[in-house]
Amino acid sequence: MVELSKLSRPLQFALLVGIFLVLCFTIPASDGNYLWRLPSLIAGWPAALNGSVEYMMFEWFPIETYNPDIEDYEESAFLKEITRSFSGFILFGIQFIRELLLGGVKTIVAFTSWDFVSENEWAVWPALPWTVVVAGSMVLGYALNGKGLAIFVGAALAYIGIFGQWVPAMETLSFVLIAAPVSVLLGVAFGIWAYKSKTTEAVLMPLLNVAQTMPHFSYLVPVTVFFGLGDHAGAIATIIFATPPMVRLTLLGLKGVSPEVQEAGVMNGCNKFQLLFKVMLPSARQNILVGVNQVIMQCLAMAVIASLIGAKGLGFNLLLALNQLRVGQALELGICIVLIAITLDKLSLSWANKQIDYFADHGFVERHKYSLIVLGFLGVGIVLAYLGTFIFGDKINYFYLIPHNKGITTEWFWQAGVDWMVDTWQPPIKLFTAWLFVNFLTPMKNAYLAMPVLATFVLFMGIGYIVGGIRSALTVGAFTLFLALTEWWDRALITLYMATVGVVISVIIGTSMGVLCAQNERATNVALRICDTLQTFPSFIYLIPVMMLFGVNDSAVLIAVIIYATIPALRYTVEGLINVPQALQDAGSMSGVNRTQRLLNIEIPLAIPHMMLGINQTVIFALFMVMIGALIATDDLGQLILKSLSDQNGIGNGLMLGLCVAFIGLAVDHIIQTWAKDRRAALGLG
Amino acid sequence: MVKKSLKLGVALAASIAFTAPVFAKDSSKPIKIPTHNWSSQVVMAYVIGGIFESMGNNVEYVSSDSQAVYEAIRNGDVTLSHEVWQSTFGASFYNAMAKGGVIDAGTHEAATLEEMGVPGYVIENNLCPGLPNWEALKNCPEVFATPDSGGKGRWLEGPQSWHGDLMPVRLEALGLGDKYTVKFAGSADAIWAELASAKKENRGIITFNWSPNFTDADGFVFLEFPEFKPGCRKADGGDGSCGSPKGWLKKAANYQFPKTHPAAYTAFSKLSFSTKQIGQMAALVDVDKLSHQDAAKKWLADNEAVWKAFVE
Amino acid sequence: MNDQSPVIKCESVYKIFGEATAKLLQESNGAIDVEKFKAEGCIFGVNSASFEVHKGEMLVVMGLSGSGKSTLLRCISKLTDTTAGKIFIDGEDLLAMKPKELIELRRNKMGMVFQSFALLPHKTVLENIAFPLQVKGQSTKESVERAAAMIDLVDLSGRENYYPRQLSGGQQQRVGIARSLAVEPDIWFLDEPFSALDPLIRREMQDEFLRLQAMLQKTILFVTHDFDEALRLADRIAIMKDGVIEQIDTPANIVLNPATEYVAKFTNDVPREKVLSCVNLMEKAGKGVKVSSVRVSKDAIIETVAEAILNETKPVPVVDENDKMVGVLNHKSIIHTLFGKDESA
Repeated sequence: MVELSKLSRPLQFALLVGIFLVLCFTIPASDGNYLWRLPSLIAGWPAALNGSVEYMMFEWFPIETYNPDIEDYEESAFLKEITRSFSGFILFGIQFIRELLLGGVKTIVAFTSWDFVSENEWAVWPALPWTVVVAGSMVLGYALNGKGLAIFVGAALAYIGIFGQWVPAMETLSFVLIAAPVSVLLGVAFGIWAYKSKTTEAVLMPLLNVAQTMPHFSYLVPVTVFFGLGDHAGAIATIIFATPPMVRLTLLGLKGVSPEVQEAGVMNGCNKFQLLFKVMLPSARQNILVGVNQVIMQCLAMAVIASLIGAKGLGFNLLLALNQLRVGQALELGICIVLIAITLDKLSLSWANKQIDYFADHGFVERHKYSLIVLGFLGVGIVLAYLGTFIFGDKINYFYLIPHNKGITTEWFWQAGVDWMVDTWQPPIKLFTAWLFVNFLTPMKNAYLAMPVLATFVLFMGIGYIVGGIRSALTVGAFTLFLALTEWWDRALITLYMATVGVVISVIIGTSMGVLCAQNERATNVALRICDTLQTFPSFIYLIPVMMLFGVNDSAVLIAVIIYATIPALRYTVEGLINVPQALQDAGSMSGVNRTQRLLNIEIPLAIPHMMLGINQTVIFALFMVMIGALIATDDLGQLILKSLSDQNGIGNGLMLGLCVAFIGLAVDHIIQTWAKDRRAALGLG
Repeated sequence: MVKKSLKLGVALAASIAFTAPVFAKDSSKPIKIPTHNWSSQVVMAYVIGGIFESMGNNVEYVSSDSQAVYEAIRNGDVTLSHEVWQSTFGASFYNAMAKGGVIDAGTHEAATLEEMGVPGYVIENNLCPGLPNWEALKNCPEVFATPDSGGKGRWLEGPQSWHGDLMPVRLEALGLGDKYTVKFAGSADAIWAELASAKKENRGIITFNWSPNFTDADGFVFLEFPEFKPGCRKADGGDGSCGSPKGWLKKAANYQFPKTHPAAYTAFSKLSFSTKQIGQMAALVDVDKLSHQDAAKKWLADNEAVWKAFVE
Repeated sequence: MNDQSPVIKCESVYKIFGEATAKLLQESNGAIDVEKFKAEGCIFGVNSASFEVHKGEMLVVMGLSGSGKSTLLRCISKLTDTTAGKIFIDGEDLLAMKPKELIELRRNKMGMVFQSFALLPHKTVLENIAFPLQVKGQSTKESVERAAAMIDLVDLSGRENYYPRQLSGGQQQRVGIARSLAVEPDIWFLDEPFSALDPLIRREMQDEFLRLQAMLQKTILFVTHDFDEALRLADRIAIMKDGVIEQIDTPANIVLNPATEYVAKFTNDVPREKVLSCVNLMEKAGKGVKVSSVRVSKDAIIETVAEAILNETKPVPVVDENDKMVGVLNHKSIIHTLFGKDESA
């Protein structure tokens, strides 16, 4: 081993590949051979997991509860009562906001009863006219950050209203307005806890890793079992997914606060509470704000998946439109999701950066001018809505609430575009796809499946050893062992095959585009903006055109993966390149290198650690999309996860399969992070 | 413990369903109706909701995944499901019933067919002479070949969660194994996309489909396999070569529904739509491009006689 | 030098780092055997520091990095826990204080300035300075008024609404100073306040600091690694090395009588004429010696009077504040001071 570690890295890798190939060709494929496939020793785990969850949820610690509906006492498990109370709490919040925006009776019911509402017809909360919401948001935008933001917010919301997506958009908004703040609060709270206690950090970090890399589909059933079905379940699934980055960034931010600032707080006489909330958290705000941005983006990215477990709104309508192959309509819904994401992001950022003027001596009117203007708009809006009842008569009152899909639509335009695309591109694409399968994809897939398990271990652990020593080798080995002992090893290999192909192509496209974009400041900004948009744009939408172009097969899944996974590769390349310290670039210029030499010899090597983190993200994104790709047609772990939605052992299977996917992601993550850390240290980039 | 009491509840509920006095008052708590991602189901949800509302009940719609919904009915998060397709959701439905908490609330008049088939133009253009008889398939696998099928013809089956390996077994049993292969689509959307794309190219395609469905209007033709007889499936001891039986379309409900809303439950258990009626509902959306709510309103207005019968 | 009781009093203060510390202390019943502790891998941040600081006095703690000067400061401000010894603030035992009392002490009696300014990045100049007042629970109006007054004091008017990142280093430290003074503390801690600044700005800030101190007369503990700065500002200097205070005395005495070789290393290059005052060099006026008509104050720094003395042929009388002659200065001692060869060393 000592001699081994003296070899240069390329040589070590060559040696490793050599051993790997020898093993591949010498180990025979036979069922009883443990070198070929390990026995599925933990195949019983899903059922056990399922049993214990169901036991916890439905049998453990039963308590008597009175059910007024059937006028009888029932036994109900303690845990179930707790989770259901939590659900009720979240649901009330969502409904309250929703009914402020769209009207309804449930808020009133919460304080009275359904009987009261049934008996009193007047007990209905009216909707805010959409014009008032638009005007109010514009005033908010103006108050927070002036004219520009006001115009943007106004335009975005007016678009949603005019294009007839008001109702689903407000439904989505109401659940995001609960899910996002809860995620932020939970994230900050856990972040603080992890900052205060090393033990908590050590326990929390792996959990966060798993929560972030676990495919969404795998926890849909557990969430419905624990929390029920409905908007609250959608919100909770969203919270599970959106909280981890917030925790991470809070912790990062708190750790980054200079000790002197902390001491300054102490010396200024802060008590513990003041120190935390007035000194530490605000000083960590840069990172925390990035976290808030991430939370908002994740919440809206989850809009579609959350609708599978009961979240109303744009996501559900989007699925419905896709089922009718109305890509144009789905696209309009998708644009609304992106607009809401950007609007919320901008508003929250401006709110956080708001400056208070202490010296202005304001009167009542001046101090409350924005509230007064909003009140004014409320009056005008209500009058307008009232007039609308005369103008539009029995038809839709466009001044009050525009029902779903009753606005302007550009659907025909997009639909024509999709049709044109399919008509024009399909023949060449078909030829290309056929060639691709025969010469590349099918042989590749078979090669993956032909790997003996021993060879796979040697390869993975070997890479781990070369990159991070014995520790990394063991980490990667443990992840792989888990996969190998399930009954899904072959499926995992197929997942790996899809992900590898997707990642390699995405990285090639993403980095080369990134390098090109980074040469020009304008192109850089455009590229980053596009990345932001594509990241929140529901990936479900392009599944349909992709399927129509490429057919229901692996190539369609791969295209979808590549479209999605190129985003981080591109983003991190651009960021890495533009952040190369100016002094080093100047030093390069002074030593007489030309543009290309500078790029190749200075910028790229220095940007590589950051670019590697991009590749890391590419892997995570690719795995995510391979899982979504199950909706097209795959025969990997993702397909099984989708299947687990109807399995009898749904919870256990879903969670175990989810863990398998998470472990693939975490193994790659571990190797790349270790490498990037080493590299950064070596380059002195901190 | 709970399981036992749940089962007891089911028995209790079932007995109440038959003996419940008609005058018992429905709870004013909303009845939660699930909506899934296909048109007929959503329109029917609003139709049933409309019927309940006409009886003075409160109704709430919950969007949900069509497989995950049975677990939700079991736990009372959703009150009922009005489209339980035998072959697609039978497994989920019976799984939930076995755990307790879900009751069978009767069957629709509509007989369903869930089977492999081809779009109308495949027959009209005579792409594979002799269809829809399955034997014709022997002579033209290349018509149905795709880039990834390795030269064989492809059957595009629904997701594996729907009927497991029913179709691969049938292929082998029919002796088509060396000429055809089964590809499992990931979702219904995948099937629709593939059908639309094949139609543009006038290309041959065999897919899983069902009726009643919006494709009925387009002239989708189901293939004719050896007739289904009890015991012909592999699981029942047969060779598995037989085609699908006419399937049922059931209704499911939470075990408390009959007790909390006796009148509504009675109507729901009587409720039964025919293939034609379901087709009408889907067509209002898919062909006439009405919104789902509007389609439901229109259907209720046009067919008052039909649904009034369930209420009385 | 002052008969009032000391404001800060340290009695053999220890700060020991290392995992074994707690165990060793328990074994030895609180007694500290330096060698034994060191053998176990403990590191002495502060090693038996004892001194007093009196009201209105400025003690400068001087030492190179790692000498323990900042640690000592942090023990006295209780930012870090003291391992052993006693610290009294205004006669009260600091180490026995409850957290609440400590917070009250800091809110009312202590102010601190930091090397890296340690301003809150999310608050404006005004908000930063008002911060300690708001923490105390003062109303916004009161605290803003007081903060505005502090801004005038440190000459930053017009920049109230700037964020720290929009200010130069010198300006940021003025904010830091204003913030530390906002609660009108009796005790003022300064931890290398000017070290991060350019030499020119540093000089300017030192002048500014002396101006403020002349006006405010705080009790000050000032930490620096710059011996010149220490000489310029201090009433007394404590020189630290490896946690030990090597010498604690007035600047002049340190220059004239360095206690250890280590201290001498610093004093060797010091231009004496800038440190010593007449009282340090004067001799007893012999009876009947003719003296010059020019008179110098005993506190005058040699540099400022050297030329005048050298221009005289007779010894120059040195007088105290009552204009009473306390000694004389002659050419020889001035020349020695200016050009080396210090006979008194």
